[in-house]
Amino acid sequence: MPKSMIRFLLISAFSVLLFSCKSYEIANAVKKESSVKEFQNQYFANPETDYVYKAHIDVYGNELSGIFIAKRINDSIHRVVFTTDFGNKLLDFELSETDFKVNYILEDLNKKIVVNTLRDDFRLLLKVDYVISESLENEECYIYKSADKKRFNYFFVNKTDGKLVKLINASKSKEKVVLGFASKNSTFAENITIQHKNIKLKIELNQISNQSN
Amino acid sequence: MKIRFFLILVLIVNTVFAQEKKMSAAEIDVFKATVEKETKNIKSLKTDFIQYKHLDFLSRDIETSGKMYFKQPNWLNWQYTKPYQYSIVFKNNKVYINDQGNKSTVDANSKMFEKINKLIIGSVSGNMFDDKEFSIAYFKNKDSYIAKLTPKTATIKKYIQQVDLYFPMSDATVSQVKLIEPSGDFTRIVFKNKQINAKVDDSVFTN
Repeated sequence: MPKSMIRFLLISAFSVLLFSCKSYEIANAVKKESSVKEFQNQYFANPETDYVYKAHIDVYGNELSGIFIAKRINDSIHRVVFTTDFGNKLLDFELSETDFKVNYILEDLNKKIVVNTLRDDFRLLLKVDYVISESLENEECYIYKSADKKRFNYFFVNKTDGKLVKLINASKSKEKVVLGFASKNSTFAENITIQHKNIKLKIELNQISNQSN
Repeated sequence: MKIRFFLILVLIVNTVFAQEKKMSAAEIDVFKATVEKETKNIKSLKTDFIQYKHLDFLSRDIETSGKMYFKQPNWLNWQYTKPYQYSIVFKNNKVYINDQGNKSTVDANSKMFEKINKLIIGSVSGNMFDDKEFSIAYFKNKDSYIAKLTPKTATIKKYIQQVDLYFPMSDATVSQVKLIEPSGDFTRIVFKNKQINAKVDDSVFTN
């Protein structure tokens, strides 16, 4: 093999290595001095509210439909239930940042990977209080960074109306889960998407307007 | 003193009237015969329904509603119209789902689907007395007969603790179904504007 070839291979191997090790950064965002040290995700924060959504889950091309129900039981714990459209319970979890209890899960769903993935997604969706370690901004949003075990959460807050529009959960090097929120006010999200970047899983939640509200 | 006595009396009377009593063997025979006779004549059925999902930790039940169509031989369309559109059609061993325009089909040749189909149709028509899957106890309160079905097999017990079917005394078909889960949470379905043997087009069962 000619020397130039070896050099080329080495360089490409090295650049691939470099590229993949590049730490995760939000595109077009700059650091910003800020006094913000705490952030609250208000979308599932009110203990008085029954949060009820029609859910669509797309997992590796398989579609599942049902009803997603969440309620804040106390300061740290949320109860989460997923049922079919007929109302049969598929799963029933209680979770906080540190605790996790399975009240019920359908046998067919009771697989470690399913339970752990949903547990982590629900934690991301429901947790209210965060400590902010860094503030950034781009054209539209203020971005607050918070450490989450080995990962980081980035909260995108719209500059004009102060609503949380996006939450990115990323490792040191790449995005893992992206949550999108569409809301009319800052305390209730009518539409939520949970998109996984490393597995083919997308969860979409649409508010069910309760007629008796 | 008199007032207190009166209040207690009212309370007792109320409790007695609200209470469910076991039906006697003779009553059960008459009741079963009436329902079976009525169900045999059902060629088609259409009804509105309201579904209340009760979870103990919620402040209020989750309410969904829609229409249900049934036609011999065992074609069924269960259609939610509020607060979203979702319909599921059981026809010729296939299940057709239309989820807000998103369509899919499932082969229903499995035993499980057969059981689901039978359970739904049986719940609406009320003819589930010969079912080997359930043991049945019969009750009545002041306006309804109530058949309480308890699953016999472990497979069903995992999902359902009990199914209560309410038959108004004036009518031999089901007006209300209550599906109780092992956790105690339940789904209550109330049927309204029921029409038996009204014309139901085949096209209703295309999803």
